[in-house]
Amino acid sequence: MTSTIGLPQIWLLSPELSVTLLSFVVLGLDLVTRRKTVTWATALIGLLIPLALTFSLAFNWFGARSTSGFYGMLKVDDYAIFFELLFLLIGFCVILVSYRYVEKYLRASPGEYYSIILMSLAGMMLMGSSGELITIYISLELTSIPLYILAGLSRTDTRSAEASVKYVLLGAMSSAILLYGMTLIYGATGTTDLLEVAKATTTVLHNGNLLLIVGEIFIFAGFGFKVSAVPFHMWAPDIYEGAPTPSTLFFSVGSKAAGFAALLRVFVFGGLVALNNDYLWVMVAVVAALTMIVGNVGALLQTNIKRMMAYSSIGQAGYLLVGFAALIIHKSAVGNQAMMVFLFVFVVTNIGAFTGIIALADATGRENIRDFDGFGRRSPWIAAGMGVCLLTLAGIPPMAGFWSKLVIFWAAWGQGSGMTLLVILGLLMSAVSIVYYANVVWRMFVIEPEKKREFVQTTPSVGLTMAIAVIGVFALTILFGQLMVQVGVGANSLFNVLVR
Amino acid sequence: MLLTAIVFLPLVGGLISLLAPDRAARWIAAIFTGVVFLLSLWLYFGLLGNGAPNFGSVTSPQWYLDVPWIDSAIGTFHLKVDYAVGTDGLSTIMLILNGLLSFLAVIGSWRMEKRPRFYFAMMLILETGVMGVFAAFDLFLFILFWEIELIPMFLLIGIWGGARREYAAWKFLIYTLVGSAFTLVGIFLIYFQTGGQSASFQHFAQTAPTLAGTLPFFGGSVSLALAVFLLLFVGFAVKIPMWPLHTWLPDAHTEAPTAVSVLLAGVLLKMGAYGLIRICLGFAPHGAQEFAPVLGVLAAINVLWGAGASMVQKDMKRMIAYSSVSHMGYVLLGVAAAAAIGSASIDYRQAALTGATLQMFTHGTITAMLFFSVGVLYEKAHTRDIDIFGGIGKRMPMLMLLYSVACFAALGLPGLSGFVAEYLVFTGSFATLPVATIFAAFGVVLTAAYLLWMLRRSFYGPLNMKWDWLTDASVREAFPLVALAVVILFVGIYPQPIINLLTPSLQQLLHGVSGLAVH
Repeated sequence: MTSTIGLPQIWLLSPELSVTLLSFVVLGLDLVTRRKTVTWATALIGLLIPLALTFSLAFNWFGARSTSGFYGMLKVDDYAIFFELLFLLIGFCVILVSYRYVEKYLRASPGEYYSIILMSLAGMMLMGSSGELITIYISLELTSIPLYILAGLSRTDTRSAEASVKYVLLGAMSSAILLYGMTLIYGATGTTDLLEVAKATTTVLHNGNLLLIVGEIFIFAGFGFKVSAVPFHMWAPDIYEGAPTPSTLFFSVGSKAAGFAALLRVFVFGGLVALNNDYLWVMVAVVAALTMIVGNVGALLQTNIKRMMAYSSIGQAGYLLVGFAALIIHKSAVGNQAMMVFLFVFVVTNIGAFTGIIALADATGRENIRDFDGFGRRSPWIAAGMGVCLLTLAGIPPMAGFWSKLVIFWAAWGQGSGMTLLVILGLLMSAVSIVYYANVVWRMFVIEPEKKREFVQTTPSVGLTMAIAVIGVFALTILFGQLMVQVGVGANSLFNVLVR
Repeated sequence: MLLTAIVFLPLVGGLISLLAPDRAARWIAAIFTGVVFLLSLWLYFGLLGNGAPNFGSVTSPQWYLDVPWIDSAIGTFHLKVDYAVGTDGLSTIMLILNGLLSFLAVIGSWRMEKRPRFYFAMMLILETGVMGVFAAFDLFLFILFWEIELIPMFLLIGIWGGARREYAAWKFLIYTLVGSAFTLVGIFLIYFQTGGQSASFQHFAQTAPTLAGTLPFFGGSVSLALAVFLLLFVGFAVKIPMWPLHTWLPDAHTEAPTAVSVLLAGVLLKMGAYGLIRICLGFAPHGAQEFAPVLGVLAAINVLWGAGASMVQKDMKRMIAYSSVSHMGYVLLGVAAAAAIGSASIDYRQAALTGATLQMFTHGTITAMLFFSVGVLYEKAHTRDIDIFGGIGKRMPMLMLLYSVACFAALGLPGLSGFVAEYLVFTGSFATLPVATIFAAFGVVLTAAYLLWMLRRSFYGPLNMKWDWLTDASVREAFPLVALAVVILFVGIYPQPIINLLTPSLQQLLHGVSGLAVH
């Protein structure tokens, strides 16, 4: 660990730094010009800089990078780089797809909106790459506070204001719980550095340490809010419904991925999975089972497409937690790898699904499932893309969603009868999930539009986002083997400290 | 590469027809399915040559292509999926059947007015999925192709179906989904229990005889091979369909448009039977042996239940749908007989299994012909009610002739293909499962009863003057019927080439089973 903060260390932090700077630039531009296209394009093109910087780190363009910087607070291992790239993709797509929606429905000046997204993005990127509890907490707040604002940006819509207030209150509570968990870990180990915590698990701590167990439960609960795991999921449907749709997209992919990134960082990198296996496993398995059931059954009952997507993403979090439970049991990178692959596919497909919702909302302002009647006739390409993404989310072969779900269940298989039951439950819930995803496809393609409605006009930005998502899905499918190997490297990098 | 072309050409055709103008879609579909059919024939004729041809078996497939796709190993976990396709006798015959019926289905729906581009695209994507199922030589690849047909079929029934299409399409979807969830669990189980290093068919065929031991199951224990067999079988049983999981079928058939019914009965049901023979029987023979007596009983129930239900139907199409349930029972019986424990010689088992696979092929052609005939009638008369007609054969002599050929083939008239298959099944199964066979044999009588009764009520007898205006089938409408009649007649008179084609792969399958019978 180098002890001076010089250029090499700045390089390690440069992706996050450049995103933050970009956010200020966009905010400043907003003062100078009122033309929304300028801020939008600046944000989009500007994102290429952090992207290039992340690639420079990934491929060591300026010499071999150190995987640790700022006295161990920043970890730039392959795991962190995976998530940085993922978040940059999310940020790019969210900003790209927002163009028309922001103009039409948000009273905020667009520059503000993009700038807030970028700030949150910086926080998310840090959540994957922090190596220390306090830093993780600060990144979490950096992520969350802009999200509270994003939820309330539809100033004329009371539902949006309600969503924002709910989000603030529940978010604050979950942060408090998380922080409390962290203090307990600190109390048990005397350090907030995750690497030191991991060392303590081999020396000072022992299995069944009560302080550690309570701390673990609180931390899990805190992140459980972020990833909307049952029973901490109540906020999701209301806030998804109330928030402006592009923000909803941002919550559903960004916030979830960030929550899982930090969860894995703390539990795996911090060595917590090495102890208290049984307690932890039972807790995670029960939460995973409940999350899958509530998410998928809840989604069946919805009439609003955004609420349905909220429950669907709760269900998806359930599958991810199955992977986490598997990880806890066999303590190898397989569960980790499966979760990361699943997250990647989930992010890409969810972007596609929400792009379809945004396209309809752009044109009509409606967002009920019934409003998708005949969408396939009114906007065939967008509907086809959305259909592909929804069916991929459902895990219908041959798309990547099938493989990513298979990989999760495959990692969980055979780890004792409890896990086997969890896998069987997961498969049955996948069968349930196909019903509500296929229902949207049914409405889009089978049911004719009520009256002769006009062709839905979409902007090129929406079309482009859909193209990214659909091409992404196909590419992920064909290159799935490659994806597994590459992600496996990242997954392994998290385990290098956890030598048992 | 030939096999890859056969699997993916329909998909390419489907995408092209989506982009093409409405009027061109059917031509594109016809050209692509026609070419694919010719290519699938080459799978057979390409192997004929000098001397005794080698049609391949699971352990030494023909036209084999293996491209690594997913290969990820961490610690002891190894996920390996290959794009592996190949053929043996069993899959060749199914690939040809699918090629033929898909082509005829396109010809049969030539007059499709409603959203034709989308219709033909869905039909072609469906063909890709089914071709893939029959060509796959990797278990994960198999299940991947297995589920592709789901959404096209769902939409085909849903958009172009009859009055209760919504109900039928959703029922089809849900039944299939729940079934395949179990199959997936079975695949996990067999994958991990046989080393967890490879999912290739060759690997499973080699480990099949050693798949033994028990699994803990809620305090007790269950035989591993039986667990694998049953889990895999649930998904296949829904597709076959086996009583009591068959109820989706009459609804789906009744509501689906003619050509879709043809594909549904002609090839989609065969996917289930193919899975049963290739995977359940081939890879878990111990389990098949344990389950065989129950399977025999279920087969007899299938035969009788289907035939009994056919007897009371008023709707001609629904009647044929139930007759499919009945006829697929013979396939189940053949498989049960081949696997059953007992001292019966290998020859009987082989006869039963040959009969079962032959039944898959002949039922595909015969039911397709029945559905096409009903389709022709329905398109003119706009009703399928058996009692409403009477003597219409006087106005439609050609249709009557062809329909009668199909019915005679279905009821097992010697000289037509149905007879050969059923005879082989019964000959083989009587040696191992005499009681079930005796009961199932009554199915033949019932089949003759309901088919002939239906023919008498609608086509023969005095002409009901209400239908005086009916005209006979046109050349285009008769084309699929004549083509199928030729196949049925040929197989009925000279089945030897097909039996020769099937024998090596079935012998390989029975190798595992007969090895067990000695113990």
